[in-house]
Amino acid sequence: MRYVLRRLGFFVLTLWAALTLNFFIPRFMPGSPLQALQIRTKNRLSPVALEQMLTSFGFKPNESVGVQYLDYLGHMFSGNWGVSIGATLGEPITKIVAQALPWTLGLVGTATVLSFLLGSMVGVVAGWRRGGALDSILPSVFVVTSALPYFWVGLLLILVFSVWTGGLLPSNFNYDSSLQPEFTAEFIGNVLQHAILPGLTIVITAVGGWVLTMRNNMITTLAEDYIRMGRAKGLSNRKIMYQYAARNAFLPNLSGFAMSLGFVISGAILVEYVFNYPGLGYLLYNAVQNTDYPLMQVLFMLFTVAVLVSVLLCDFATAWLDPRARAKG
Amino acid sequence: MRRSRSLVALVALSAVLAACSAKSTTGTTTDKDASGTDGPHKQGGTVTIANTAGQTWPCQFNPFNPAVNGQAIGFIYETLVHVSVVGNSKETPMLATGYKWSADGKTIVFTIRDGVKWSDGQAFSADDVVFTFNMMKAHPATDLYALWTGAGLQSVTAAGSEVTMTFNQTAKTYFYNLAGLVPIVPKHIFSTGEAAANPETWANTKPIGTGPYTMGTCGPNNIEYLANPTFWQPGKPYIQKVEYPAYLDNAPANNDLASGKAQWGGQFIPNIKAFYLAKSADNHTWSPPVLNVGLFPNLDPSHPITSKLEVRQAIAAALDRTQIALIGEGGQQPAANQTGVVVPTFDKYFDQAALTASGYDKPDVEKAKTLLASAGYSPAKPLKLTVITITGYTDWDASLAVIKQQLQPIGIDLTVDDLAQQTFVGKLFTGNFDLAYYAEPNSGPSPYYELRQLLHSKLTAPIGKNAISNYERYNNPEADKLLDDYATADEAGQVEIVKKLSAIMLRDVPVIPTTESVDWFQYNTSDILGWPTPENPYAEPSPYKVPDNEQVLLHLYSKAAQK
Amino acid sequence: MLRSVLRNRKALTGLILFLIFVVLAAVPQLFTSVTDPNKLAFAPALPPSGEHLLGTTALGQDIWAQLVYGTRQSLVIAVVAGFFATVLSVLVGVSAAYLGGLADEILSMITNVFLIIPTFPLIIILATYAGKGTLLVVLIVLVVTGWSYGANQLRAQALSLRNRDFLESARVRGERSSYIILAEMLPTMTSLIVANFLGAALYSVLTAAGLQFLGLGDPSSISWGTMLYWSQNQQALQSGMPLWSLAPGLCVALLGVSFALLNYAFDEISNPALRPVRRRRAAA
Repeated sequence: MRYVLRRLGFFVLTLWAALTLNFFIPRFMPGSPLQALQIRTKNRLSPVALEQMLTSFGFKPNESVGVQYLDYLGHMFSGNWGVSIGATLGEPITKIVAQALPWTLGLVGTATVLSFLLGSMVGVVAGWRRGGALDSILPSVFVVTSALPYFWVGLLLILVFSVWTGGLLPSNFNYDSSLQPEFTAEFIGNVLQHAILPGLTIVITAVGGWVLTMRNNMITTLAEDYIRMGRAKGLSNRKIMYQYAARNAFLPNLSGFAMSLGFVISGAILVEYVFNYPGLGYLLYNAVQNTDYPLMQVLFMLFTVAVLVSVLLCDFATAWLDPRARAKG
Repeated sequence: MRRSRSLVALVALSAVLAACSAKSTTGTTTDKDASGTDGPHKQGGTVTIANTAGQTWPCQFNPFNPAVNGQAIGFIYETLVHVSVVGNSKETPMLATGYKWSADGKTIVFTIRDGVKWSDGQAFSADDVVFTFNMMKAHPATDLYALWTGAGLQSVTAAGSEVTMTFNQTAKTYFYNLAGLVPIVPKHIFSTGEAAANPETWANTKPIGTGPYTMGTCGPNNIEYLANPTFWQPGKPYIQKVEYPAYLDNAPANNDLASGKAQWGGQFIPNIKAFYLAKSADNHTWSPPVLNVGLFPNLDPSHPITSKLEVRQAIAAALDRTQIALIGEGGQQPAANQTGVVVPTFDKYFDQAALTASGYDKPDVEKAKTLLASAGYSPAKPLKLTVITITGYTDWDASLAVIKQQLQPIGIDLTVDDLAQQTFVGKLFTGNFDLAYYAEPNSGPSPYYELRQLLHSKLTAPIGKNAISNYERYNNPEADKLLDDYATADEAGQVEIVKKLSAIMLRDVPVIPTTESVDWFQYNTSDILGWPTPENPYAEPSPYKVPDNEQVLLHLYSKAAQK
Repeated sequence: MLRSVLRNRKALTGLILFLIFVVLAAVPQLFTSVTDPNKLAFAPALPPSGEHLLGTTALGQDIWAQLVYGTRQSLVIAVVAGFFATVLSVLVGVSAAYLGGLADEILSMITNVFLIIPTFPLIIILATYAGKGTLLVVLIVLVVTGWSYGANQLRAQALSLRNRDFLESARVRGERSSYIILAEMLPTMTSLIVANFLGAALYSVLTAAGLQFLGLGDPSSISWGTMLYWSQNQQALQSGMPLWSLAPGLCVALLGVSFALLNYAFDEISNPALRPVRRRRAAA
């Protein structure tokens, strides 16, 4: 119980710190929403009209910072996120985010889970089969792939599979613009087709890390006494590998996996930029370019909350699965 | 149309290139063919637009929201009279069949067209016009052309099918804004509910207009417009469907143009010859110049170096504008000239003799060195200057790289400062710079509109405060008077005034134009004809230019449908 | 330790790669005759030839020259940002472990907050906030976002060391805390600190390149990331100039790989169990 409370306390404190940071950052940024609106209306409006426009969009720049801060905290939690003042001027932020969220979760979330599963499997086998041909080559290969920059792999894949093949695999957007979103086989197939290259980029760059950590964990675990006990007992190799070794090697990975799941939402920016995938990362990039403070703040908050929640859930999962963690308190 | 990451639509494709011939760079089909034959034509066909908006469609069609009105005006909403910026101010009556100014130019009476229907079947009348303008007064955030606040509009009333507008000053120069840009909206829709309470933020997802198209379907990735069967021009529009996909970046839009999947482009295409024109004989481009891009020196006395005339004259003399246009803009924008008059669009107002006499018509390195020396600088003792520009405008970065190389031999050491847009804007508006690279955003049917933004002291502000335009802080009563007199002058008088303003540009060098920014335009003639061409410039041709897009759409027809 | 590094094949490869880049950065003039790679001196969009090994950009600059001169900035970023991030990690991590109690709680809390905050969005916001992406801004942003991971690791190791006998004896001897930390603890943690530095350097290279690729760096500087930015803007891949995009990316990748290989090799050196087992013909 103490453990749960401690983790919750940490969660709340970190959330508060991140939100406060989030509140102040745009306020120290150069330029003001007023000037941004002036540009968007092509310098035609008078300063008075501009201020009225800002106010009608929910901006009250003349209140004290304290009041604004409390307002901001309240709004973040109640879901009253206001309207965008950037390129999507006037659109409610909840709608913008709701539209982009499923694409990021779908593409990046699936790719991350795939990388984790694939990487862990390979890591288990690699850790098990020491001394094989695989063992000397694999780690080097994966060390290299894990050091490759996202965007470069993306660009390379675009060149090979899209430009050189004359567009066999689409390198842009989430589905063809001539289709309307609906649950037909054609649409879903098209979505999947557009997700192949960006998904592949993520898997290629992320899988290496998982393979290496899993392999290291396996090796450390295999040296433990209970493995030797299992072998002495005459258990089959497969049983030892999966039920004894992998299970225990898996646990330390879980916290890393949870962190990376949380980072799914935010880590996608480069991939979404290269492939023009309209997810949350792309949204943040645009928001920063267009001085869209309300949207920036909401997105940043979402990213932070996602990581925190997944870490918290994984802490609870670890506590549930591993009694030793509970005892540590 | 998005330049890299911004919405300021300054990127354009030009055809006039000093190094090449003076004709537009096209494929083998001549421009005359592209205009097609005059009507009437049979209806049918689809045209697809390629214009990078940089975001997915929010499916809002509020014509008063500057972020989305490019998808609403022209397609669905119309204006009173169309004035063509590139077509020598040619006027085409739309919702108004005619107009008459009073003698003092303070009152204008429009005769509103009969027999026009809104797309929901209700009749259009002068009441809708009055309602639109009065709504702009009641909600200043919708007065996007500053008619009530800046132009001095005082009242708008209707009597039968006539609408009378009165101003507190001569308002002829505002005709382009009020008749050519203001979209007329239906009173019966905008006077109720959410629209009435918050017209500037209302989503308007099912727009009702008088225009040639209605909104058929809208998703985040594409808008499909369908021809309006009750449109007031019988038999038009010829094209029955318009597809407007959402592009997040330039590359995919350019790819669709090159492959022919899209036929009407408003894109900046780097290496356009190899990338687009060479792909098909039906691919053409014509990008008319409409504004100047250039160096804005800070004329305020607090900046002693740039406020020295000799320094500005030296820079103006040293620049080889043709090179800047060729390398910096890939030859896709024409070179500008020191008079500030955009040619060939405004040839009527251009004073070639004055330009030649001034010596700024070609680069003169020796003269530049002498001028700079008189200010105390030379290649041995170079002048250090910084120019601010916006990060992401790579063609401006490239132009500045060329400028830097051209200024070095005369003794100026130029540093290019790339700033994030909001930082740049902050510095530009408040006068916190030595040199800024920029272009005014608004053009008009004559050079007056741009020159006014550049030179009128009413629009500027002291250092530290936000200026609406005239960022260089130029203050000259002579220029102000010329600009104020323009409104009451007749056509010959207006040409004279612009020539006198050109003389001021040549004499005082308050701004140094380098290239001319254009309306980017690419078009494919394999099926669609009726495009605007240099021989027939009936409207600004870019798909993102509203309401000129309506004029283009009313001319386009499909060859296949004629069989 | 140097000997074990040299004997390890991965470390050797990584070291050689790294040294190649160091040479390129130190004496670029040996590898290209172009003195000012940003100058628009040549015809644009030339294909690779004897005169221009990788061709020219759309603006008329020699790609190979830009690549060679760009090495300097990327190396500087990797080493400087990596170094300062590691210093910060050591300071916070080891102090937290050694001081314990409330100081530990506070420092751990700060570390965790920085760990949780999504770095790339924060980086984008900070880089834009600074107004322009000078080298200093990029470095500061990288250090601020890159230290927290290492701090946690170092704290864990320092905690396990804290109660070891040799430290206990130093305390009993009456040595000052700072001496114990600096002269006794840190030397035993060297391999972890070096591994941290390599990890931070890798992170800095990739993130800096990503930032510049997005256009948040300084577009007139000479670096691999800026080359990527320009080539992307000019649609190099689709316009038949793929080398302009691929070459700088490959360099970023190779520099990153060199750090990753060295890092992994260090892991192997400090934990012999991880070393590749030489193949022995054994009954399976």
